[in-house]
Amino acid sequence: MDNSIVISTPPHVKSKRTTRTVMLDVLIALAPAAICGIVYFLLDAFILEITCVAFAVIAEFIYFFIARGGFNVRFANEETKALSKKISALKKEGKPFQEEAAALKAKREELRKAAFAKSRSVFFRFFKQFDFTSVVTGLILALILPPTAIWYEAAIGSAFAIIVVKMAFGGTGRNIANPASVGRVFMFISFAITTYTAANFGPVLEVTGDELTSGATYLSGAMLIEDPNLGALSLLDLFLGTGVAGCIGETCKLALIVGFVYLVVRRVIKWWQPVLYLVVLGLMTALLNLDFAFFLPSILSGGAMFGAIFMFTDYVTSPKGVYAQIVYYALAGLLTAVMRHFLQIEVVSFVIILMNLIVPLLDRYIRRRPFGFRREKKQKEVADK
Amino acid sequence: MKAVKGKFFFGGVHVPDMKALSADAPIEELPEPPAVTIATCQSLGKPAIPCVAVGETVAKGQLIAKADGEISSNVFASISGKVTAITSLENECGQQGQFIVIEGDGSGNTQYLPPLSDPSKEEIIERVRQAGIVGLGGAGFPTAVKLTPRTPVDTFIINGSECEPYLTCDHRVMIEKTDEVVRGARYIAKALGVDRIMIGIELNKPDCIAAFEKYDDVQVVALRKIYPMGGEKQLIYSATGRKVPGGKLPADVGVVVNNVATCLGVCEAIELGKPDFDSILTVSGKAIERTANVQVPVGTPISYIIEKCGGEKSAPKKVVLGGPMTGVAVKSYDLYVKKTTSGILLLTEEEAAAEEPTPCLNCGMCADHCPMHLMPMDTAFYSNAGDFESAEKLGGAMYCIECGVCEYVCPAKRPLIQAIRKTKAAVRARNKGGK
Repeated sequence: MDNSIVISTPPHVKSKRTTRTVMLDVLIALAPAAICGIVYFLLDAFILEITCVAFAVIAEFIYFFIARGGFNVRFANEETKALSKKISALKKEGKPFQEEAAALKAKREELRKAAFAKSRSVFFRFFKQFDFTSVVTGLILALILPPTAIWYEAAIGSAFAIIVVKMAFGGTGRNIANPASVGRVFMFISFAITTYTAANFGPVLEVTGDELTSGATYLSGAMLIEDPNLGALSLLDLFLGTGVAGCIGETCKLALIVGFVYLVVRRVIKWWQPVLYLVVLGLMTALLNLDFAFFLPSILSGGAMFGAIFMFTDYVTSPKGVYAQIVYYALAGLLTAVMRHFLQIEVVSFVIILMNLIVPLLDRYIRRRPFGFRREKKQKEVADK
Repeated sequence: MKAVKGKFFFGGVHVPDMKALSADAPIEELPEPPAVTIATCQSLGKPAIPCVAVGETVAKGQLIAKADGEISSNVFASISGKVTAITSLENECGQQGQFIVIEGDGSGNTQYLPPLSDPSKEEIIERVRQAGIVGLGGAGFPTAVKLTPRTPVDTFIINGSECEPYLTCDHRVMIEKTDEVVRGARYIAKALGVDRIMIGIELNKPDCIAAFEKYDDVQVVALRKIYPMGGEKQLIYSATGRKVPGGKLPADVGVVVNNVATCLGVCEAIELGKPDFDSILTVSGKAIERTANVQVPVGTPISYIIEKCGGEKSAPKKVVLGGPMTGVAVKSYDLYVKKTTSGILLLTEEEAAAEEPTPCLNCGMCADHCPMHLMPMDTAFYSNAGDFESAEKLGGAMYCIECGVCEYVCPAKRPLIQAIRKTKAAVRARNKGGK
């Protein structure tokens, strides 16, 4: 019996899963989409992915370093100031000052060493607490960018997502909205909008304005026309992402589904969450257009599937209770369908932010009743009798 | 009777059960320790009052401390010998408690109560009270109080689920002493005036299910293997479909639950007149040389049992009295077995988690797995902020059964149970002050 024995409150065994393994699971699930993006968009996609991830991690590191006092070091204190004053006074009087100068030098050396030790400890602390959340954010942001984005725009968006949305609110677990989608919307607003609009609409630009009006999304518009010359895409093309203009990671739905299956098998997300969102989205689109043919295209087009699998299910910004989750995904599906129908642009990022912002309300007001819960009113009624 | 399937409830978690370590070891009676140190507080409620003096010679089974009031239990000498001291020592929870030290003389004198044959309802209850039998499921609620419910009862359930990982003592009792358990259950059913006896057994113990299916008056309920199946409320719901309201007792829905070891104790108290002075427990974990199920007198030092089991194989990271999900972690072997001790676990670093908590992800896993459908993360968040009212209202802390599932599944390793206990204590203190 020695002092290595730990005491704590129960439970004394815990699951092997940590934040780090959860995030690594998400990264593994994102890998097929990232690889497909590189296959379809070649170097553009590769550069964007690397930039986003690198800048996300660097931004998190810099914020952490500053916030934890890595730079807040002092090379002078009262003692050194007093010593240097004394030396200057001695100099004026013309007396020997070598002894004091040596003492001052030693003091300064000591201070410098302490300062570097502090910086070093902050530096190592960063890697000790690093949990891959910023890597996930960076990669997701890269995958929802169009391949035409420029690398420094992506870097700014990535740094914005991490510093303003995640770290400023308190780091992992405290961000109020999905950092990647806010970063994306930030870039959408800040930089050459046309680039993004074009990429979002893809084939829409090939269709003239009149034909566009009937469709909820670009694809439904293209399908309605049924003119092969206009380059209408088959569902299979949409599913595999061949020939579809779109964002890097959103085009190949097969890769996304592989990632989805992995996440479900690893029990990182629940299978019904993205499914509920997509089904509601498809049904609502069909209802708005009064045509069931819109069901599959609306699910397969744009960022709906990517958002459903990787962004709506983000732990931090989705509700915690089961009933709140059902309301959240259903409402998100409805909102996406309606906004797509009337705005005619790709809205999934906006819907994600809007829904993220009402999550605290959902969490507070839609909660499960405890097992064996009885309304207090009933007891009062009994007492009255 | 043929086994029926238990009702499904949401929540719970599959914990690696690690029962294979000790499931095949038969219950062995260890040689009597040279001295025992018996706590006077063996059950929930008040400690018993010692009724022997220092220097007195006592026989095995002699009453040495009398119950103080209704919720308290008699304490008996577990070996024959001489009372050498009545002192105050630190118990496993770190509190001071009164202990009676008996030094054995090896004479083996016994002084049991007279055996009863075909006892009446009142005789059974009186005997259970006299023999100091307590619920051996963990809390140690005096069984005699359970046998006199204020509301009419129609079902008696034997809790044989043993959902805690590592522990196998109930499993062994069910296999080796099936008949005694059933007879004890019949006595309890007679005392309660019910004729419906059910036993809940998890599906990972098919041998026990088969053993109990032979009896015609016992309805076996085969339960899913999930933690916390053995929680009273979960067991009652699975077996009968009744929900115990928050803050109420099982008797309010017409059910009484007792552990298999308690049934065995009742049977022995009535048929042999043997009071409750020994405890069957599991010694397990990967840091112990030999895993075993042992029967030892109450008051045996933990160090003695560990020595008899071959000592440490490697340095343990945690030493736990009871199950790993709800037991107490202790820092020294200078502690003594109580009636309710169900296991001694020496966990290695690989088994026992002692990780630093990281920030809460709000992933909601605790809420998903909570068998009581609560929001542990809300409780933890508000109680850390000192807002106990919100912690109680939004987190539902007062419904918590402290099973430990939330903390088990938490990927951020947050200390949730600690926060819930803090909230409960604060709310209780406030309610008391209000009244």
